[in-house]
Amino acid sequence: MLPLTSDSPACAQVPTLAVDADADLVAQLQGGSEAAFRTLVDRYQGQVYRTAYSLLRNPEEAEDVAQEVFVEVYQTIARFRGEASLSTWLYRLATSRALKNCRRARAKKRFAFLTSLLGFDNKALHEPPDHAHPQALLEGQQQLQLLLAHIARLPEQQQVAFTLRHEQELSYEQIAAVLDTTVAAVESLLFRARQTLRKHVKPSFRHV
Amino acid sequence: MSDFDMRPDADSEWEALLNQLRTQPSAQPRPFFYGRVQARLAAEASRPWLPGWVRRPAYAVLLGALVLALSGDNAAFASAAAPAAATAPASR
Repeated sequence: MLPLTSDSPACAQVPTLAVDADADLVAQLQGGSEAAFRTLVDRYQGQVYRTAYSLLRNPEEAEDVAQEVFVEVYQTIARFRGEASLSTWLYRLATSRALKNCRRARAKKRFAFLTSLLGFDNKALHEPPDHAHPQALLEGQQQLQLLLAHIARLPEQQQVAFTLRHEQELSYEQIAAVLDTTVAAVESLLFRARQTLRKHVKPSFRHV
Repeated sequence: MSDFDMRPDADSEWEALLNQLRTQPSAQPRPFFYGRVQARLAAEASRPWLPGWVRRPAYAVLLGALVLALSGDNAAFASAAAPAAATAPASR
């Protein structure tokens, strides 16, 4: 649950209520309440899954990461001291585990390439199949696919900052809390990410 | 800078693309997610606590060989030294 940014008094109370509700939830979890764990999963499964999915672009891997995150929360909630909000902690766990999966997948790909070069296996290397229907790949969609491909190639910190900002719509302050850095550093990460992406993603549909 | 950045409508096109990214259909986990998390927790709980590398036979064998090699040195030296001392001719 993301804090709202409106200045209205009614909206200003919502984050406080959410924080209070999370504090209660954490207290119940630390007391070993099964019902509290279910509430936590119900409340945050979408956020955790979407964060993992935006970095992995694979439903099975995102599901796996989301499950790992909740298992870790269950096992380590006793050590949660509340320095960061519950939501921030979950974003941190989801992004770090998703990035770990990305690194493992890249290493596996490199190893498979090496073994294929050395002739240790005869399996042909192939890219994951693209199930998109050709007609669905309209020009706008192609641009989006191109953008997603280049987001995946950004340095990790930039990738996380960019997806949290433009897909999860987090504020700079929230991103800084997730990355455990300053707002200025987030601005710099986003600036460099946008610069790189704009250099690589050129809208071709207006060139004709 | 690329053509994209030089053209006057580049900013609006970029914003449109970012908007498209934002308004993608929201990804959601499959139904009964909680049940699968519970199953995973149960599996984790029933797994014996050992570091991952210990559970790989190759590492376990390597560790065993290393322990044998290191622990065998002193015994071998001691047993080799004892008969040598016993059978050594008296110095003149």
